[in-house]
Amino acid sequence: MSTLSRREMLQASAATVAAAAAGALPGSVALAAAPSQDNITLRLQADPREYQEVIDTYAGVAPNVTVEPVSVTGIDHAEVATKILASLAAGTPVDIGFAATEATQLYAGEGLAMGMKDRLLDQADDLMEYFSDVSPVLVETDFYEGDLYQLPRDFNAANMWLNTKLLGEAGLEMPGEDWTKDDFNEYAMALTGLGPDGDSFGFAWNNGLWGGWLPWIFVNGSNLLTEERVGGGEWLWDTFYADDPNAEGRGGGFRWPEPQANNPLIVEALEHVVALTRDGYAPSVERGFAENLSGFFAADKIGMYPGGGFFTGFLQDAGMEPGTYDAQFWPRWQSQRHQLGVGALWILIGGNEDAAWDFVKWHTGRDVMEMIGFFRVTRTTPARRSMCTAERFPNVSNWNIFYDTVDARPDTGPIPAPVFSIELTNIFTRYTEVAVSLEQSPQDTLDAMQAELEDLYARNA
Amino acid sequence: MASEATLGSGRRSWLPAWLAGDTVQGIRRQRMVLGVLFLLPTLIGLILFVLGPIVVAVGMGFMKWNVFRPPVFIGLKNFARLFQHDLVGNSFGNTFVMMAMTVGMLEVFAIALALSVHRFARSRLAYFFRTVWFLPVLLSGVSVAVTLSYMFHTDFGVVNYYLGVLGIDKVPWLVSSDVVRFSVSLATVWRNLGFTFIIYLGGVSALPQEILEAATVDGARGLKRLWLITLPLLSPTILFATVIDVIRLLQFFDEPYVMTRGGPGDSSRTAVMMVYDTAFANLEFGYASSISVVLFLIILAVTGFQFLLSKRWVFYQ
Repeated sequence: MSTLSRREMLQASAATVAAAAAGALPGSVALAAAPSQDNITLRLQADPREYQEVIDTYAGVAPNVTVEPVSVTGIDHAEVATKILASLAAGTPVDIGFAATEATQLYAGEGLAMGMKDRLLDQADDLMEYFSDVSPVLVETDFYEGDLYQLPRDFNAANMWLNTKLLGEAGLEMPGEDWTKDDFNEYAMALTGLGPDGDSFGFAWNNGLWGGWLPWIFVNGSNLLTEERVGGGEWLWDTFYADDPNAEGRGGGFRWPEPQANNPLIVEALEHVVALTRDGYAPSVERGFAENLSGFFAADKIGMYPGGGFFTGFLQDAGMEPGTYDAQFWPRWQSQRHQLGVGALWILIGGNEDAAWDFVKWHTGRDVMEMIGFFRVTRTTPARRSMCTAERFPNVSNWNIFYDTVDARPDTGPIPAPVFSIELTNIFTRYTEVAVSLEQSPQDTLDAMQAELEDLYARNA
Repeated sequence: MASEATLGSGRRSWLPAWLAGDTVQGIRRQRMVLGVLFLLPTLIGLILFVLGPIVVAVGMGFMKWNVFRPPVFIGLKNFARLFQHDLVGNSFGNTFVMMAMTVGMLEVFAIALALSVHRFARSRLAYFFRTVWFLPVLLSGVSVAVTLSYMFHTDFGVVNYYLGVLGIDKVPWLVSSDVVRFSVSLATVWRNLGFTFIIYLGGVSALPQEILEAATVDGARGLKRLWLITLPLLSPTILFATVIDVIRLLQFFDEPYVMTRGGPGDSSRTAVMMVYDTAFANLEFGYASSISVVLFLIILAVTGFQFLLSKRWVFYQ
């Protein structure tokens, strides 16, 4: 065995360090084999467990395109958007992102997402079948200032889930579609203190923009921010929805010009949910606990819980017995307008738009959507009407309400999510905590929230 | 030296003239260059990952930048805003309160544990206790925080369940602004105690036995011996542990972020949470940098102050 002298070793080490340093120089990049123009890698924001079949199938459709899944998780959609922005800041963005309504206008408004108008009009024939299967309510939500930035994949409106086992124990029937806020209060009282340990709560909710107490603001005839329709969008409505009465009067998206947090209707809505906690009909609302509430619903500790079609899969996973749960529309107050959030893929403006568009367009096919894992176990509601069937929502008698929330109730609208929606969500949830912890009156809380929202608007003017 | 000067002289023709000589000076230069080359990877890492980010963060503090558009120089505006921003002051205040509570509990519990476990130093029980108390340090801070947030839930948490069994009313651990800082501190103490405990165990093991025995012979026992002999002898370790803990805990993030998101309201919002939210939620990277620069200076000042005070109470043998 040959041995290395100390000097030879030092020389070799120095040469190695020098080579490594030279390799780090930008000039050496030019020496690397340039990727073929035909081979493209698309970074797709998706959970590989849910999207593997889609990705594998696309490899056959477009052999020159490699789709690389990038999993991004978060406690809510605002947190996911936060992480996407962090990856962007770090220089590792995705080519195809996923955005729920919370982030649609953020990506579009900041010039990150590609508008799809021209491509949609150029390839209208290919997409006619897709749009005929998707409610215009969902499509309008993905507009921003007259252009469409996403093709809806899934959505969830805030409906009300009821534990029918506890209903039976209280001697109550499932409420009808037109039940009211007063009916809800009676149900909440009757469903409290039941269950195996006599410690159930009539109602529970999470503190978030979607599905928190915002649905109460909507049914009380208001919104956290003033809401208006943006003009434009006729190009889409006339092309794809010419014969759909639900498309009439729609525009080019939503705009929320100013905050109105201390509007009397909103104060009244907050007083309503605060009273539920204060009177013991709802448990304490705690941020770190959100995910667990669904488990307590399944364990007969909670009588009613806000949720969309996505809850079907959660309850199945939790082992809840068939026939012990069902869903209904949100109760009527001044109105019965529901709130929703839509999820869809968006395309980053960054050089791979053509390949990304091909994937996104292909992805709208029903056969492709059927491959997505979370539609098989129904962890979200498909945007395609034809996919919302009794089989998709097993053991839910009123499964039809999920799509009826947009088809039969076309006044259903998006949660207020302007470009600065992440900061808006933080302000909303922070002040909500103060009110529901009973440390400040709803009026004082909402006055303070209004002041901070006005400051937010001023900074983003 | 002479033999080194003649070694391999024919094989260094590739070196520049000022480095290739076989003189003593030339060999010194060669050694120096080699030394620098060996240090280079560390230096590059230090510049890229420590000094570089610090310089960039300080520079960014004078900019307005939201990732999407190029940064704009705005002078001292971020710093001026910072001192008028109630939320920033509040988050620094929370950080100090929680740091003080946590460090206080950590040092007291860790010293007590170290002294107790040291009694079993020659038995196998010492291994057992060292392992058990250190285990939480190996757990992920997020996992611990998630679990503890379940345990501390007002209505569904196991802590209040057992308090109820004892006839004690429910405590709003995470939803009362009076209690939440204590709850978060408690969670942090539970996870970090093992680290501080190991430091103190090392310190206690190194205490000079002859002094302790002499004190015992002279009649110093119990708390008197602890206060007058053990703790002064342990004071260098106490300084080291408190400095490390204060620096770590002024950067409080995992537990409050996961357990409360800074709530209720802003009662448990810390300075680092403020930096995170300002940068990634509000997209004000320049302003976030200015907050982190101020936090950096505060940590530096507090650490300096600790060393300054240490002259009065730390005894080196």
